[in-house]
Amino acid sequence: MKLHADSLIRTYGPLNALDGLTLAVEAGVLVLIGPSGGGKSTFLRLCGGLDQATSGSLQINDTPLGHDPATLQAWRRRNGFLFQQFNLFPHLTALRNITLPLEKVHGQSPAAALETARRCLDRFGLLAHADKLPAQLSGGQQQRAGLARAIAPGPEILLLDEPTSALDPEMTAEVLELIQELAAAGQHIILSTHEMGFARAVADQVALIAAGKILESGPPAAVFGAPREELTQRFLAKVMRFA
Amino acid sequence: MSRRHVWELLSALVLTAVVCVGFWTIFSGLNLTRSHEALWRYRESLYKGWIGSLVVSVGGLIGSCLVAAVLVAGQRAPLKSIRWFTQGLVEIVRGMPLLSLILIGYYVVLNDPTVTRVLNGVGLGGRLFGGIMLLSVFTGAYLTEILRGGIESIPQAQLDSARAVGFSRWQVLRYVVFPQALRRVLPALAGQFVSLVKDSSLLSVISISEFTYEIRAFYAATYLGVEAFLPLAFGYLILTLPIAGFSHWLERRFQAATAS
Repeated sequence: MKLHADSLIRTYGPLNALDGLTLAVEAGVLVLIGPSGGGKSTFLRLCGGLDQATSGSLQINDTPLGHDPATLQAWRRRNGFLFQQFNLFPHLTALRNITLPLEKVHGQSPAAALETARRCLDRFGLLAHADKLPAQLSGGQQQRAGLARAIAPGPEILLLDEPTSALDPEMTAEVLELIQELAAAGQHIILSTHEMGFARAVADQVALIAAGKILESGPPAAVFGAPREELTQRFLAKVMRFA
Repeated sequence: MSRRHVWELLSALVLTAVVCVGFWTIFSGLNLTRSHEALWRYRESLYKGWIGSLVVSVGGLIGSCLVAAVLVAGQRAPLKSIRWFTQGLVEIVRGMPLLSLILIGYYVVLNDPTVTRVLNGVGLGGRLFGGIMLLSVFTGAYLTEILRGGIESIPQAQLDSARAVGFSRWQVLRYVVFPQALRRVLPALAGQFVSLVKDSSLLSVISISEFTYEIRAFYAATYLGVEAFLPLAFGYLILTLPIAGFSHWLERRFQAATAS
């Protein structure tokens, strides 16, 4: 996966959520770390084709993510996205949450969609919960079902926005394990997280985003082991204190 | 039998007694014997009137849904002028008494020769269709605001998730927003449909042969007040109670799915 961002700016009213973000990386798994409100989510939304930059350019794997709605929708269809929470549609069962997009977006027959969905749920240990509504699942199960829905169509890139931030430690571990499994199987992933140990273990490339810019990026060993920037050192010292 | 059951039984008995005494006090003074015969004599026109109300109600129900669909789309139109125009229309209709809407609609708008010609041309001429249309516009405006409330109550996270799985704009509405919004506003919608049935009685002022109109004709001919207006109340309850019952049934059915 090749990602090239040049001087990305995204403003919300008076706020510059991204303030000239520039990054060029090639990685299987790119992990975004950094303080809350620094711009990780905004950058992920741009990468997922869910939002558009105010100015600057972004290209992933030869697809320029600009302002053309058709290109952005085609891009969203090719990739999977998982948010912190509320991913599942509450009026549909876990199974239907997966089969509906497969049928309506990816044109699979109901039988094929059912087969795919059951396989994905089984892989994530959720087959017994297939017919439950999201409200009947635990937070960890909901996130795993969301992950199952995201990978069901076989996405080129999986984008995960703090996928475990709303979970307790046990559920966090359940979800992180799955993500690690996916990464090990060769799934291309861009994810933001506050789990530094996990970031270090799973990333090919780490980028630290703060104040809408890339503060530092590189392989995890470099960023975590020998951070160049003083701000990076301070951030890591703070978040790793109890690790 | 537990203590709670005893109280339950006791309160049911007391309430029944209160209702019986109330009815007895009110109706014992009346001589209702000749009314059976009079009602029986007028049964055909009364039945025709009730069927008229049923037709107007069903027509209004379908019509108001169509009107609301157009207005809801208008409220979400990409052009600001269309959005403002739609909202203005909704507010004006909601701000007017139904009676004045019916009178203006019937004696001014539907009386216009061009409008009449066009409506006759598409086979929607005549008093009955006029009444159904006016009722549809009135109820449609209320439904529009109920639906807008429902649609706007769907959290942004749901819209994001729906776009993230690759749904098109229309699919987001069709598969994610509408099913959830409709379940949330179901009680309000049912209430509005019950109102529609009752509001249809006002169409009697433009001489549409519906239940109220026929009952009033019966009363004018016989001067049997109670005998006329009790059946009137019952006639409408037969139409409205099933709507309420159906709505409660739907609410129970979708209860789990609306919790989030």
